[in-house]
Parts: sequence; structure tokens; C-alpha cells
Amino acid sequence: MLNINNLHVKLEEEDKVILKGVNLNIGPGEVHAIMGPNGSGKSTLSYVLSGRDGYEVTDGSASLEGAELLEMEPEERAAAGLFLAFQYPVEIPGVGNMTFLRTALNAQRKARGEEELSAGDFLKLVREKAKTLKIDADMLKRPVNVGFSGGEKKRNEILQMAVLEPKMCILDETDSGLDVDAMKLVSDGVNALRDGKRSFLVITHYQRLLDHIKPDVVHIMAAGRIIKTGGPELALEVENNGYADLLAEVQ
Amino acid sequence: MALPQAKQDALAARIAGLDLPQGGWLGAARSEALARLTAMGLPTKRDEYWRYTDPTLLTAPGACAAVFDDSDEPPVFDAIDRLKLVFTDGVFDAAASDNPALAGIEIERLALAGSADIHWAQGLYGVLETRGQNPVPRPLAALNSAFATDGILIRVTGKVAKPVSLIYRHKSDASDAILHHCIKLEAGAELTLLENGPAAARFLKVLEVEVGDGARFHHIRAQGRDHERLAATHIFARLGAEALFKSFTLTANGRMTRNDCVLELVGDDAKAHVAGAAMGDRSFHHDDTVFVTHAAERCESRQVFKKVLKNGAVGVFQGKILVKPGAQKTDGYQISQSLLLDDDSQFLAKPELEIYADDVKCSHGSTSGAIDETALYYLRSRGVPLKQAQSLLVLAFLAEAIAEIEDEAIADDIRGRLEGWLHRHES
Amino acid sequence: MAALDAQSAELEVREGVDRETIETVNAMAGKYKYGWETEIETEYAPKGLSEDIVRLISEKNGEPQWMLDWRLAAYERWLKMEEPRWAMLNYPEIDYQDQYYYAKPKSMDVKPKSLDEVDPKLLATYAKLGIPLKEQALLAGVEAPEGERRVAVDAVFDSVSVGTTFKAELAKAGVIFCSISEAVREHPELVQKYLGSVVPQSDNFFATLNSAVFSDGSFVYIPPGTKCPMELSTYFRINAENTGQFERTLIIADKGAYVSYLEGCTAPKRDTNQLHAAVVEIVILEDAEVKYSTVQNWYPGDENGKGGIYNFVTKRADCRGDRAKVMWTQVETGSAITWKYPSCILRGNDSQGEFYSIAIANNAQQADTGTKMIHLGKRTKSRIVSKGISAGRAQNTYRGLVSMHPKATDSRNYTQCDSLLIGDKCGAHTVPYIEVKNNSSRVEHEATTSKVDDDQLFYCRSRGMDEEEAVALVVNGFCREVLQALPMEFAMEAQSLVAISLEGSVG
Repeated sequence: MLNINNLHVKLEEEDKVILKGVNLNIGPGEVHAIMGPNGSGKSTLSYVLSGRDGYEVTDGSASLEGAELLEMEPEERAAAGLFLAFQYPVEIPGVGNMTFLRTALNAQRKARGEEELSAGDFLKLVREKAKTLKIDADMLKRPVNVGFSGGEKKRNEILQMAVLEPKMCILDETDSGLDVDAMKLVSDGVNALRDGKRSFLVITHYQRLLDHIKPDVVHIMAAGRIIKTGGPELALEVENNGYADLLAEVQ
Repeated sequence: MALPQAKQDALAARIAGLDLPQGGWLGAARSEALARLTAMGLPTKRDEYWRYTDPTLLTAPGACAAVFDDSDEPPVFDAIDRLKLVFTDGVFDAAASDNPALAGIEIERLALAGSADIHWAQGLYGVLETRGQNPVPRPLAALNSAFATDGILIRVTGKVAKPVSLIYRHKSDASDAILHHCIKLEAGAELTLLENGPAAARFLKVLEVEVGDGARFHHIRAQGRDHERLAATHIFARLGAEALFKSFTLTANGRMTRNDCVLELVGDDAKAHVAGAAMGDRSFHHDDTVFVTHAAERCESRQVFKKVLKNGAVGVFQGKILVKPGAQKTDGYQISQSLLLDDDSQFLAKPELEIYADDVKCSHGSTSGAIDETALYYLRSRGVPLKQAQSLLVLAFLAEAIAEIEDEAIADDIRGRLEGWLHRHES
Repeated sequence: MAALDAQSAELEVREGVDRETIETVNAMAGKYKYGWETEIETEYAPKGLSEDIVRLISEKNGEPQWMLDWRLAAYERWLKMEEPRWAMLNYPEIDYQDQYYYAKPKSMDVKPKSLDEVDPKLLATYAKLGIPLKEQALLAGVEAPEGERRVAVDAVFDSVSVGTTFKAELAKAGVIFCSISEAVREHPELVQKYLGSVVPQSDNFFATLNSAVFSDGSFVYIPPGTKCPMELSTYFRINAENTGQFERTLIIADKGAYVSYLEGCTAPKRDTNQLHAAVVEIVILEDAEVKYSTVQNWYPGDENGKGGIYNFVTKRADCRGDRAKVMWTQVETGSAITWKYPSCILRGNDSQGEFYSIAIANNAQQADTGTKMIHLGKRTKSRIVSKGISAGRAQNTYRGLVSMHPKATDSRNYTQCDSLLIGDKCGAHTVPYIEVKNNSSRVEHEATTSKVDDDQLFYCRSRGMDEEEAVALVVNGFCREVLQALPMEFAMEAQSLVAISLEGSVG
């Protein structure tokens, strides 16, 4: 599904190298987790994959189902099936949440040569998805993320994911700022989308999210590289011993 | 103080070909207006209130011919049920207009009013304009009061069933129209006024509105999309107790547009909202100059102006809230924002507060900048293509101004207009 | 690191300051505490302004020919200029021939060689103002162990500088701090290079007048890479009657230099208005930083608007080099008329300008003050925080300009401009000009006007404060952001000034 090969990335504005040769292969239906200390490059990886400005790829490649990702515009990546659930979803005053979702969905369908969804069908679809995430009608009416609590923003991200039905989902620190109940809600939303074909990359600092979203593979990232890969037990090791031992081991 | 010779000459040249109808109450009002104009002279770039807009084209002896964009886009407000009054090249066109008979309303033509004894109009024509000359002189409005060729006089006594729609058309490419409308809403009356259409190559307009106690006046206008067009418009309104005044203007293109809006809240608990959404491309110069005077207690005023500019377009906002001594519990709000889509565009603003009462809540804000890159990226990451994402954000930016339109059908019509404009400009 | 330390020191002071304010209010008997006069023999130039007077001032200062020529050129120009009237200020026409343009204490006839030789009456004057002209001394109101915080002072009395402290020690660091008349004689190359380069002779009516008749003022030069070892300050005192004070200050921060400069001013109570037209020019080269703080407490006139200083001041900083920084902080509590717009020309790329202002107008005072931020360089940043307080029958106007030049790409401005009204006879006005000529820059302007919050006042009073104390407290809270920008000593002085200036504003 997602193949990342020797990815090197630096900041566009300054001479700061963030990713120093990342290799990652995620097969269809797999759930991978990336853990790592702050500043290891986890979020940068998600931004580079989704096409945010400000980063320069100096070497390496990334592809989604064989299609070269890094050449595409952000919207082309989305249409190709990539979805990033942001750590800090942006607020867009003046744009209604429903308008936003519908514009996005129909733009993607159009890009894939599919027919646009009618207003009625769309409404039905969103209402159904929103219900399971406990997103009420009011939240759908309000402008995108404006005045949303931290938990509401994250639920809204998962709602978008549910409506847009991407092939490859990246969750960037989706657990940050969530209380126990919200975490459960969000995880259930994610788990409901696991259908054996859709792949996930879960980026997190803590192990606790992985109690809810069980990964097949766990990677540890530090200083711009994946330094260790293992099964779910690797996450537990981090939880118990912290990152220090792992880092020392590598060095 | 005598006017400098250069100003006298410029004025003489400007009014040389204009006709000053004599006789009757209107003739007297016109002569007084000419006296006001002669004392002031025409505006120049050196005047404080013209520092950001060069009035030369507006004050030149003649209008230059305009290229009108006669695209087949259906006119704005087409789907709205309304009473249509049409002006062609600045003259009322009875044949093209609806029969001006509607319950709760009296409609007269200015060109025919001079000899008639329309007593209510006598207390209005040029009267609000005169009040609006202080402290900021507005010579073009005085010129209009003196030389207006036509216009409409409307007295509203009840709740009018449908909007009155003033439609401007042109036959000549070089028409230089001067129209003057007066509207008097008696206590408790209600009227919605619509205005649209490319009036003339150069259009000088005054609208005087007296909103009586408890009366409600809604005004929505769409200024033409035509590129080569000059317009200087003035609204002078006076609000009685618990009166409501709401005016919204959509401007898309036009070489130079100067919209003056002078509001005076003289009755307690009155509300005045004035808003504008402007989208300009290339040699577009758009100037909103607003002056709101609070002279009574517990009044509310809102000014919401949004401009989207590209390819060297220039947006100007000069807005002032004046709170007179004793106008306690005033709530004054003003926001002016511009979205500059490229580096050649300019936004020039002077948002002023002048306050002589202490128990007030007044604020203004002004921002200028490029489109929010983070929001753009967020939209694109959800699959919305760049151009469409930009349009969405432009509409979102303008939304606060459009929200000032109370009638949903009209607001939707305006929104549709904007979408159409954006669509045309996406390519 | 040093900046951080300074900040935490300020914070500590602030904790106790509100209480301090109230104590000060209680302790103050008179409304204007600097209104007394020093009885001293004064030598005046003949009344009025003429070419001869300009020549006389130049001669008194022992100036070279080039300086006299410069003054005369300015005088010629001034004769053809008109006094600006665009400000929201209402005052009778000033008779420029009914003023003395030069007054100096007789005892200063022979220039004292050191502070020990200065007339004890003059020293006593400054001691009484809380500005002891001794080298271990500090500004008034702060108890700190000797030697810990030192401030070098240039004291200007009417038309002459009576002395400058710590000159020798500053010289060791290469810093030049002296009166401008001395600088014209001793450092002509620097004065000639920079004088009038920020505020040209032709700038405006009052600046041109100043260029012709300035008698003294301060001169500062900080050499490359030098952090001035102590804060510098000038204290202006107008004593003589019917005399205008026209001081000129020139500050040059060479590459990588840093200086914090304080300015204070007072004058005796008199029934007639007195003119003060100063010019301050600051040149800031690459990577240099200047902080300029003013507490302006000229005599404001009495409750009925009789007397007081007419204060027409041109202050401008030119960030010539990349990454140059300037910060203006002003507390304007005095003067009958204030006309003052300390400005920043952000010429160098990445240069920064800040303007923090408190302007209080009570009784019949009128203030028209603000700033200009001229963004010329790329990635330049500016910030304006203005707090205006109007009470009595006063009129208080913020007037400002933010200009983003087409080439000033990726620049930022943020303006916050708040007005507070106390009583229904006063006025608060805001006149900002915003000119944006590129799209990568972001400009944000916010302004609010409101009255003193009744709930806050009630809360304070329910805790035992009387109305005046409560107002002082709430107003100090309103001004907090600006007070925080002041150096410690000034912050405290300013807080008590806020309270004093508002006396009689309630009830």
C-alpha cells in the first residue's frame, strides 16, 4: 500500500535535516504504529506524505499503491486515497463543516471519475457516520473546527476519514489532548474502518492509544530514522522503560 | 474664504454643460445645492478624505466611454419577485418599468416633481445631503443635488409586499448619469430596496433615506461587474427611534467606485448596519467611505467591509464612528478586512473612532493579508483542488459581510453571484 | 539570558506595585508635585526669534561655522512654513515672537569642569526632583544596593546641560555620552554625519524650528559590539518663565550595540503656556538595539486649563541595518498640549520596531499622539500597543500610520489601541492609517473604546478602596502591557504618575 524508501527531508527555509533515510512498507490491511520521542521526525513524516509546504525532499521516494506520492499536489494525494488525521486540525471560519465535507467528497469523486453525490444521499451518509462518533447536528452546522474542543476536533477528523473512505490513513498523535472517553470514541471510530484492506499508520508518543487500536507492526523512530521495528510488544517495552534504553542500544 | 482660482475653474468646467432646472420647491433646493458646491469646490487628491482615491476621473468635465461587459449571465435579483423601476442612461424608462402602484407606497419621478407639491419630499431633498456635509465636505453629493436629471421619490406608509427594485441600464457607451433618489419611511413602515445594473460610463448617485420611528429599511445593491465604469454614490440616512437601516453592497470590478455612506442615528435604540463585499481584478479601485454619527442613546451601528483584491486592484476603506456627547450606551462596531491574492494589490484603510460619551462600547478591527496557507493545505489534504479551495476560502472570507443581508433568498442570490465571479476567474 | 533576568526582576517589582500606587496616591498632597520653581539668576537672550537669535545661540554654544550655517538654513525654511493644524488639538495661536529662545542659569557662564563645581542650587533642584546628580545615584523611588543598577544622567536645565554623570566610566567602554553642544565641538564628524539624517530639517514645522534654535540636548554614541554598561538618561527641566525649551537628542547605536535610554521632564506651575519643541533622532545600525523610554510629566496646566506646556515633539528611529531593533515606550501624563508621534523606519531587513504608549489626559489637557511604522525592509516586524485614558474635559487622540512598502515582503504589524473614558465630558479618538502594498505581509489592527468597568470598580470598593484608589488600580491594570515594557524604575514612577494624573477625575 504505502512504500517509503530512503526518505531524506530538510526544512525549506533553513538547513535543518529532519528525516535522514526513512524506510517503511505497509501492506494492505496492515496497521503500523510509529512511536518516538519528541522531535524525532514523526509529524514531519506525516506532513511530507500529505504534501505540506515548507519541506524539501533531498533524497528517496514514497509511493501509494505504486503511484509516486511526492510528485502529487495535496489534493491529488487525497484523491489517490491518502488521508492524514491532523494533530492540530486547522480552524476555518466562514466555511460550514457540511459544505467542507461535501466539497471534499465530491472533489475526490470527481477526480476519480465517479459521480458526485446528491445532497440527499450525502446528508444521509454523513448523519449515519456522525451518529457513531457522537457528533451532533450542531457540530456539523458550525464552521470547520471553529470553537471545537480538542476532543471534538479529533472526532471531526475521524468523521472526515469515515466519509471520505481513504485507502491509507495516517493518524498523527490523534490521542493528544483526549480524555479516556474521547479516546475510546475515536478508537472505536478508527477500528470500525478496519476492513482488512484499508491500511493505517498510527503516529503516537504514548502506548495507550495502541491499547485501543492494536497495531500489527511497531516502529521506533529517533533522530529522523526508524531505529527499531517489532511487534506490539515493542510498544509495551517503551511504555515500561521509556525511549532512553532503545536510543542507547542503537548508539 | 474664497475658493482658489484653480478650483473655481475646475468646477466651472465640470458643470458647464449641466442643466439647472428652475422653479418650484425643487428649483430652490437645487440652487441651494449649487451654492454649497460653489463654496466647497470639487474634491482633489489633496483633500484628507480623498487621500487614497484620486477623484480626477470623477470630477473631469466629461466621462470617458466605457466598455460594458454584456455577458449573458442572468441579471442579479432575477428570481426575486419585485417592483421594477428602470432607468436607462439616467432617465426613468416607464415603458420598461412595472406599473408603480403598490399598497403602502407612493412613487413619484424626480423629473416631474418640480412643479408638483410633494410636501414630504421638500423636507428631504438635499436636506440630509446638507447635514452630511459637516464635518466632511462631500462636493460630489452637492453637485448631484443641484444637477440630478432624474430619480425616484418614494414615500412608504406601510409594510410593502415586495421589494422595490431600481434597475439601471445604458444605451450609450459614454453616458454620464446623475440620479437622485429620496425615500421617506413613515413611522412603522417597511421597505426593501434593490439596486443593480450598469448605469452609465460615469454614474453619480445620491440616495437620501429618512427612516421614521420604528421603521425598517433594507437596501441591497449589486454594483456592475463591468470593467470600465466609474461610480460615485452617496447614501445619506437619518434614523428615528427604534428604526432599522441595513445596507449591503456587492461590487465586482469597475474601474473606480467610491461609495459614501453617511448615517445619522438621531432616535434612541436605532440600529444601522452597513456592509460591503468587493471583489476586484486589475485596474479596480474601490473605496468605501462610511461616517456613522451616534446622536441618541442605546443605538447600535455595525460596519462590515470585506475586499478581495488581485492583479493590482486597490481597496480603500475609510470608516468613522462619531459618538456625540450624551449618546450613552452606544454600541459601535467596525471591521474592514482585505484578502490580497497577489503582491500587486493594495489595501488602504483609515478606520476612525471619535467618541465624546463615556458609557459606550466601540471597537474596530482591520486586517490585511494573503490567503491562509494552513487552511488552504487542510482543504487540499482532503482532496479539494487548489482553485476550488481558494474559492471556498474567498467565500468564507466574504461570508461575514453577506450575513448582514436579512432576506435569505436575496443573500443566496448574492452568494451565487460571487460564486459565478470566482468561477469565471478560476481559469 | 540578560533579557530574561531583567524580565523576572520586573515581574517581582510588579507584584507589589499596585499597593505601592495607592500608597503613593495617599502620600501625595499636591496634584502636580514638580510645580515649584528654583530661584536662580537667569541670563536670557532677547525675546523673540530672528536670525540674530539663531546666531547668538550658536555663539553661546561655541559652535563651528557649519553648525551655524545648518541652523540658518533651517531658520530660512521655517519662515516659509505653516504651523500644522490637522491634529485634534485646540489651542490659541502661538506668538513665536513672545518667547525667549535661550535662558541659562548665570552660574553656568563658566562651564563647570566637573559636577563638584556645579551651582549647589541646581544640584538641589535635581535632588528635589529625585534625580541626584551623583555618581552612585539612582533614579528616584527605588531602593537598591549601591552600585547594583546605575544610571548615567545628563541634566538639561532650560537651555543648557548642567552636567553629565559617569562620563569617564562610559568613556572606558567607548561610549560617548555628553550634551549635544559638547558633541558639536568634540565629535563634529559624528554629529555632521548623523544630525538631521533621520529627521531632516524640512521634516515639519516644529522640527524645522528646533533645527534653527535648539540650545542643548544629549548625544549618545555606542561603538560597534558594545552593550552600554549602564542605562543612560536625560532629565529635562524648564525653569525660566516664558521660555521655550528646544532640545535635540541624537543617539547612534553602531553595529551590534545596545543601549537603554530614559527621558524625564518636568516644569514649574505657571499661568502662561510654555513651548517645548524637541527632536530626537536615533540611528540604529546592523544588529544594534535601542530602547527609548519617556516619562513625560511637563506641567499640564490647572483644572481650568490655565497654563501648561505645549509639547510638540518629533521623535524618530531609523533602523538602517539588518536586524536592527528599536523600542519606544512612552508615558505621557503631562503637558497642556501633546503633539508627538515617535516613529520607526524599518529599513533594514528583519528589523523590528515597537511602540508602547500610555497617554493620560485629565482636566483640560489635549493629547494627539501615536506612532508611524514604515516598513521598507523584508521580514520587518512592528508592534503597537497604545493605551489612552481620558478624564475631566480632556481630549485624547491616537493617531498612527502603518505602511507596508511593496518591497517589505513577509512583514508583520500588530496594533492594539485601547481607550478608556472616565466621565462624560471627555473625548477619546482613534485615527489610524493603514497602507498595505504587498500581500505577503500581514497587518492587524484592533481598537476598543470603553468606560472604566463599573463591576471592577465596585469589586475594588467592596474590598475597602475609595473611588479614586479603585480607579487608579483599574487604570493601572488597563495599562499593564505598557508598564511592563518600561525599565523597572520608570515602571514604578509611571504607576504612581497614573494615579496622580487622574486625581479629581471621579466624583
